[in-house]
Amino acid sequence: MRIKRPPAVALVCLGLFLLCCLLVPRFATFGNIENVLRVAAILCIVACGQAIVIILGGIEFSFGASVALASVVTVTVLPTTGPIAGLAAGGACVIGIGAANGWLVGRMGLPPVIVTLGTLMMASGTAAWLVGGLPLDAPPSAAFSWPARGRVLGMPVSILAAMLACLALHLLLAHSRIGRLWYHVGANPLAARLAGIDVARITLLGYVVAGAFCAVGAIILTSRVASGQPALAPNLPFETIAACAIGGLPLSGGRGHVLQVVFGVLTVAMLNNAVVLINLPVAWQLVLLGLAVLASVGLQKDWAALKRLAGRTAR
Amino acid sequence: MRPLSDSGTRFLVAPASILAALALFGLATPGFLTLDNGLSIAGQIWILALLAVGQMFAITVRGFDISVGAVAALSGTLGVMAANAFGLPALLLAVPVGLACGTVNGWLVGRARFQPIVATLGTVLAVKGLALLVTGDGQAVPLEAGDTAELAFDTVLGLPPLGWAALACILIAHLVLRHFVLGRRLLMLGSNPEAVALVGGTPWRIEMRAYQLCGAFAGLAGALMTARAGAGLPTEGAGMELQSIAAAVIGGTALAGGRANVWAVLAGATFVQVVLTGLNLSGVSPFFAQIAVGAVIIASGLMDTGLRFLLSRLSRTFQQKGTFQ
Amino acid sequence: MPASDEALLATGIAKTYGATCALRDARLTLRRGRVHALLGENGAGKSTLVKILVGAVTPDAGRLDLDGAAAAFGSVTQAIHAGIVPIHQHLSLFPELSVHENLSAFALAGGSGLWAGWRLVDPSRARGWLAEVGLDVDLAAPLGTLSLGERQLVEVARALSLDCRVLVLDEPTAALNAGEADRLFAVVRRLCANGTAALFISHRFDEIEALADDVTVLRDGRTVIDAALIRRHSREELTHAMLGAGVEARPERLCARAEPVLVGRGFAGRRDASGGTDVTVHAGEIVGLAGLIGSGALTLAAWLAGAQAGAGELSVAGHGFIPGDRRRAAALGIAYVPADRHAEGLFARLSARRNVSVSALGHLARLGWLRASQEAERIDPLLRRLKLHPAQPEAEAATFSGGNQQKLLIARCLALPGLKAMVLLEPTRGVDVAARSVIHDAIREAAAAGLAVLVATSDLDELMVLAHRYLVVRDNRLAAELPQDAPRAALLSALSGSMAA
Repeated sequence: MRIKRPPAVALVCLGLFLLCCLLVPRFATFGNIENVLRVAAILCIVACGQAIVIILGGIEFSFGASVALASVVTVTVLPTTGPIAGLAAGGACVIGIGAANGWLVGRMGLPPVIVTLGTLMMASGTAAWLVGGLPLDAPPSAAFSWPARGRVLGMPVSILAAMLACLALHLLLAHSRIGRLWYHVGANPLAARLAGIDVARITLLGYVVAGAFCAVGAIILTSRVASGQPALAPNLPFETIAACAIGGLPLSGGRGHVLQVVFGVLTVAMLNNAVVLINLPVAWQLVLLGLAVLASVGLQKDWAALKRLAGRTAR
Repeated sequence: MRPLSDSGTRFLVAPASILAALALFGLATPGFLTLDNGLSIAGQIWILALLAVGQMFAITVRGFDISVGAVAALSGTLGVMAANAFGLPALLLAVPVGLACGTVNGWLVGRARFQPIVATLGTVLAVKGLALLVTGDGQAVPLEAGDTAELAFDTVLGLPPLGWAALACILIAHLVLRHFVLGRRLLMLGSNPEAVALVGGTPWRIEMRAYQLCGAFAGLAGALMTARAGAGLPTEGAGMELQSIAAAVIGGTALAGGRANVWAVLAGATFVQVVLTGLNLSGVSPFFAQIAVGAVIIASGLMDTGLRFLLSRLSRTFQQKGTFQ
Repeated sequence: MPASDEALLATGIAKTYGATCALRDARLTLRRGRVHALLGENGAGKSTLVKILVGAVTPDAGRLDLDGAAAAFGSVTQAIHAGIVPIHQHLSLFPELSVHENLSAFALAGGSGLWAGWRLVDPSRARGWLAEVGLDVDLAAPLGTLSLGERQLVEVARALSLDCRVLVLDEPTAALNAGEADRLFAVVRRLCANGTAALFISHRFDEIEALADDVTVLRDGRTVIDAALIRRHSREELTHAMLGAGVEARPERLCARAEPVLVGRGFAGRRDASGGTDVTVHAGEIVGLAGLIGSGALTLAAWLAGAQAGAGELSVAGHGFIPGDRRRAAALGIAYVPADRHAEGLFARLSARRNVSVSALGHLARLGWLRASQEAERIDPLLRRLKLHPAQPEAEAATFSGGNQQKLLIARCLALPGLKAMVLLEPTRGVDVAARSVIHDAIREAAAAGLAVLVATSDLDELMVLAHRYLVVRDNRLAAELPQDAPRAALLSALSGSMAA
């Protein structure tokens, strides 16, 4: 959907940025901003996938576990296949889990919460099982660490990848047929079926594409930690859902714009960074994230009600 | 002629699954079908059972509470702190703490019209963070007020005293759901949310009660957890929310709301515990148990969908006959 | 008539939502022992007035008198305790609970108390209420096992449990077959004989004339006919009062029948049905599929459009497809308007234009990429033709009125590439009269352009002004085929066939 005004979250995000610049020591340095962006980059890529699932009216809890599984698989096969094939194998795992989720939700009609929580458990169990529960270090190589540490034209690869991911998401959502159908399925699946849309296939594709976004994030994250960790990024699904919710995507589906995702991600990343910089216990990250989700969704609720009133006026 | 109601079928799935799992593990692992092992499972199921019964109330009103694990951890930890300060009975402070968390969830879902998943996601994060903060970054808080091992592990008539206490709480849950006006209101809300206001009920208050019950039972589970561990564990309980959803759904609680049975949910929790213990005894990797729980969750969802599909087909056939008269 | 006769008097009622005035100056007088019909097109303020009466909405201005004393209701519960009992179109029953619990719902939902058993009504009284509405069901049976019509009667039986001074029936017959509706009317009459006042809201003139004594007509939030005796006004007068517009004429006669387009063979509504039903719709023809609710007419129509699985063979313009394969049916050029606009048709969150273009996406996209300018170019003229109001294709579908939402669904049909046939279920249910005539015109134009059109509806008036040929469905099979000039009486007797026989 075309957005004529900047989304409300943009103002919140900007306000938070100014607040951090003024109040948080060492926040407004070039190094720190780049650091925030680097952290935000991975979050952003995965949140792009989460956004697709949320627009479809679903929710993805399995991203964290599948990223962990990807890192374990990558590091396990790395010695025999080399870094590129290894990373690809890890990414394929993520996409495979996305496909399984999409099949169970789309074709079998299961609630997304149940399905993705189930695959979360299975993926993290499998990851721990493969390496016996302990992290496994990867042999260092230039190709392996390029996604995390490399630069293209002076720009870190991860940030570049995030920008490309946002562009891809925008093209998908605003200009592709499949993206348009995601909105329809999310807004009213029954009506979509009766309008002649293959709901199961569109849903499956949505989860697969979401998995592909997450796979890119998994590759960068694996490269950054340079090891296979069965407990990698346990909060990733929460943070991506929070980013989307803060950005203003209704979790009931059918609505959403890439800018909302971007600003939601930046808000989450800044909150996390500020907690570290002012030397609060890291647990505050969770508390603030939870409160931010509730506050933003609560505020958007009121705005939605106001808008509805305005709509009635126009009638 | 009236068709059979489906209630029977849905609530029989869990007991049947237990029998199947017992048979399977009995064949695979020689030491499994022994009295000792049975008693050990009977002693272990109660934390999950309390959480699942709480979860059942949330699912009955068409919701979810994914914060139960975190709430149990926080309330258990705060309970230990209170017990250390004021004596052992203060451990029960866990229950009002859980109730408070449930009230927040219930207010958000019922009054502020948040989607259950958003509201409880917010509280998961906040509650997890709080549990870490009160303990100074996740340190276990040892219970110094008294020894609870005897209450938690020594069996009296087959169950440890705390097991009996949990069973009593579950009996109360049964009375609430089946025989109290509140339970009837919960079922009404799950069955037809729009109609509740039309017959003079207050939907948001009923919905809030469901989450309050859920929170209170999570608090009970937290107290039991700390009594068994002899310490408050602020990071414990991760994954318990998933197991509780699985147990509640296997126990026949309809995801579409309005149908629940406490004893079936207890059977669902037992089933999950049987699977975990069975896998443990058969010597596979402990991580494999996690995979199994994941599979059980998805299977429970498939069961719910399958039953709904099957029964709607049956009832359609019956209804068409019904119009003949 | 003496003033003491008044059970409920509402005067000067006004209600504004935002800047929209739903009611300006409404007046309603209900008398004891009489059935009062409330008429008005959608948007006239009918439903707002009903909501105010039953306590679901508080008016901005005006006065309610109940039995001569001023009354104000803060909630539905208060209104019920005051004796105003609503019976809603969407049932306020609980399918998962037993009949007994449903009959006790007021006691269970309101008030305080701990033990549910104490708040259930006395079983013998409950059975008495059921007997009074002519239902013979087990009190312990789950409500979900009853048919829709039986459930409606349970709802009426529940109203008997209350000290009912004013019974508000908001389109209660929508889900009933003729026999069940008759039973309902008999119960209402009996209640009225005991001094209850009834307010009856329906879109069907037949029922209104059969049941009501008095009538009030609302237009634009104002009362234009106030508590008049219904037999003093003809249908034309009442319609005129509702709209201030004339009644539509019958369609032009078809000269010659063209080749068959939409063909269905061997439809079996029930597994045990002997022999199948065959339906053929020709190019340029509007076939009216008539059937009371529950007759299976809607199921048959949905089956023809590929929206309902089942036995039989379907084809459109010679291409066969499998029943239930809605996607293939749409690809072959069968457009479909489902009966339930909100649940099955509308994408409430998406813009009006997107609601329409969804059927044409295949045409608007090249290699999976949409061309936005083409979308507006192709869709907006359709919306203009259907007089979408307000003319804002970017506005969310949820913000439009019911009639305009229905126009979106019709436009979606017309936008389908390679359109050959249209299957329309209840195309104007709950639609205001202005939108209704726009939709009817669009349907006629589509047929004139050579499409095969099938309209399934329980609204006889609609059929009479649209169809070139009537097919009457009863008990899940085709009971009669009537020509365009068949008189209304012939249609009625075919519809209710077995009753008359």
